[in-house]
Amino acid sequence: MLLKDVRDYQILFLSLFLLLGMATRDWTLKLEMITVAIATCLLTQWLLSWLKNQHTQDTDHPLRSLPYSLLPPEINLRSPLITSLGLSLLLRADHWTTMALAAASAIASKFIFQINAKHFFNPGNFGIITALVLTPDAWVSPGQWGEDWWYGLLFVGAGGMILQRIGRWDTTAAFLGFYAFLEAIRNIWLGWTWDVYWHRLMSGSLLLFALFMITDPRSIPNARIGRIIWAITIAIITFILRNYFFVPTAVFWALFAFAPLTVLLDILHPSLRFSWFEMDKREC
Amino acid sequence: MKSFKFIIPLLLGILAVLCFAPTAWAFCGFYVAKADSKLYNKASQVVIAREGDRTVLTMANDYQGQVRDFAMVVPVPTVITKEQVRVAEPKIIERLDAFSAPRLVEYFDDDPCAPVYKRGLLQAVPSATVNEAGDRLRDRSLGVTVEARFSVGEYDILILSAKESGGLETWLQRNGYKIPKGANQLLKPYIRSSMKFFVAKVNLDRFEQAGYQFLRPLQISYKSPRFMLPIRLGMINATTEQDLLIYVLSPKGQTEITNYRTVKVPSDVNIPLFIKDEFGNFYNSTFQTAYTKEGKKVAFLEYAWDMSSCDPCSAEPLTTEELKQAGVFWLDDNSRNSISPSRRSLPTNNVFISRLHVRYTRDKFPEDLMFQETSNTQSFQGRYVLQHPYTGELKCQAGREYKRSLFNRFEQEAQTLARLTNWNIQDIRQKMKLTTTNLTSSWWENFLTWLGI
Repeated sequence: MLLKDVRDYQILFLSLFLLLGMATRDWTLKLEMITVAIATCLLTQWLLSWLKNQHTQDTDHPLRSLPYSLLPPEINLRSPLITSLGLSLLLRADHWTTMALAAASAIASKFIFQINAKHFFNPGNFGIITALVLTPDAWVSPGQWGEDWWYGLLFVGAGGMILQRIGRWDTTAAFLGFYAFLEAIRNIWLGWTWDVYWHRLMSGSLLLFALFMITDPRSIPNARIGRIIWAITIAIITFILRNYFFVPTAVFWALFAFAPLTVLLDILHPSLRFSWFEMDKREC
Repeated sequence: MKSFKFIIPLLLGILAVLCFAPTAWAFCGFYVAKADSKLYNKASQVVIAREGDRTVLTMANDYQGQVRDFAMVVPVPTVITKEQVRVAEPKIIERLDAFSAPRLVEYFDDDPCAPVYKRGLLQAVPSATVNEAGDRLRDRSLGVTVEARFSVGEYDILILSAKESGGLETWLQRNGYKIPKGANQLLKPYIRSSMKFFVAKVNLDRFEQAGYQFLRPLQISYKSPRFMLPIRLGMINATTEQDLLIYVLSPKGQTEITNYRTVKVPSDVNIPLFIKDEFGNFYNSTFQTAYTKEGKKVAFLEYAWDMSSCDPCSAEPLTTEELKQAGVFWLDDNSRNSISPSRRSLPTNNVFISRLHVRYTRDKFPEDLMFQETSNTQSFQGRYVLQHPYTGELKCQAGREYKRSLFNRFEQEAQTLARLTNWNIQDIRQKMKLTTTNLTSSWWENFLTWLGI
């Protein structure tokens, strides 16, 4: 049912941001690109689930006997929708093929890069990096989301996350807190006034990233301590890339580079794996 | 993964059915006027040509005052040697300004009574050093190092690096540079982020000998991953809003600002005919209204275009030679001019221009401007349209309908103008009457139109 799964709230928020963005903020957002992202994500998810199903099906099972195997599996709509909305919010491209590539690789990464049946790349982030690396016409517009409006996003997003009780607020807090701390030290050392500091922290894609990308519970470390170490590592790398290598898209590169760290942290700090299904049961 | 290989072509196949053909950008109309930088009192102009991490920065000095008092301190990412500095022709910035300025175009309605044939075929009618660097002086007590000292054209140039801002301020004052109060605080962050200072003064003897009237732009080249423009220093003693026009030339596509929103100026709207005589005034008000509406904290995109063409052209496209003078260093040398009737075009020269207009104050623009090159090749221009009604005799039914439709059209134009400029709509309506009286032949026709009959 609608709004029963916590991910429905996330879909709702992301769609709201997209609508608001298109209406009031960002002229680089285009409806056709969003359509391409959504269609490709859904299709890829469906196709790969079907293939996986074919591959792993148990022929002894009465429902899995030959006539049924041709049927697609029950499609997971929520995850590809969230990925496609995230991609639409963050990635810009000159041609729709680039967006399709980003969306397809985002979803495919979930099926390909798995260890112990857990994927470790954030799908949206994987798609963004794929497009930035493999195509000549993709970019991220970090400045296009303004500043004031982001206070609202911050409150709604944060409130929403706590409401949803997905239990991953620690990751956002650790990332934003540590990143803000590093920027504060730098600001004091350089001698800039504090309005410069706040202006830097209000960077649109930074907040969107911190609230909606690094909190994906399926691809980040399972144990809280693991998540905090992981988020702080990404904050440090982001800080270095942004301030010393002048990379405007630092956050995405940092997450991409340290995504495999999840595997190691899960071994070092074993904990129960996150499951949306468990989550639903708990809520009931 | 094996199964993955055929999925992409399949997906692409399905998506191709959706067919998102890129919108063709074709404008026409007769070019009439442009809103160039002369509209603003204190507009600084900067040209940035950049490919990879190589940058050529041209700065025009809008200095108002005695030439002997002129001094410029610009933070730069690296030490600059004499070979990296030259004096550019002032004309080159004027050319870029003229080429990319917001423009006014006009169209003329066809005779509605003429036999119907394919309309819209209006063709656009475009209107047309000696190396003496390296004498390093070190003033240890102040922590200031003179990394280079040389003269280029009428300028005496110093490249300084400093250990602390107090020392740099003292050094500059001792050496006859008038540094405004408060500079100390602002110099510190640049020193700490290991930037150098490009300091220029006018050599009066050479200036007078050469008989120059104005200060010519300085052009520096350097290699650095930093793609930024320091604006903080310029705000020290500014009392009002300052205008900055930035022409970014890139081999790829549009350039945008990463730490402020970049917004397009309102464009492609029909406005009343009387604006022809006051286009500058109109654009000024339009810009100011948009600036206020956006909370005074965004950068405006006024033009984004491949420099090998323009449509309509508010100035001739720059020649290869002129582009080189503007700092474009990645050009091929196979120049061959070809001019088509509707569009001017030069050989593909891989230069995309983004004209950014920033009106800034200290409270709304706390941070220096950071840029990024994107591969967005969409064209955009600030373009305002005058649509002349048909003024000949109208004796057919279609003609009468056309005449009636004009009132609504004029009213629409008045409302657009009022919305864009924040001018009083009554004044606009009054002004428009003056220009439209000769259109309708009698008072009763006016009356009927007004009634909508």
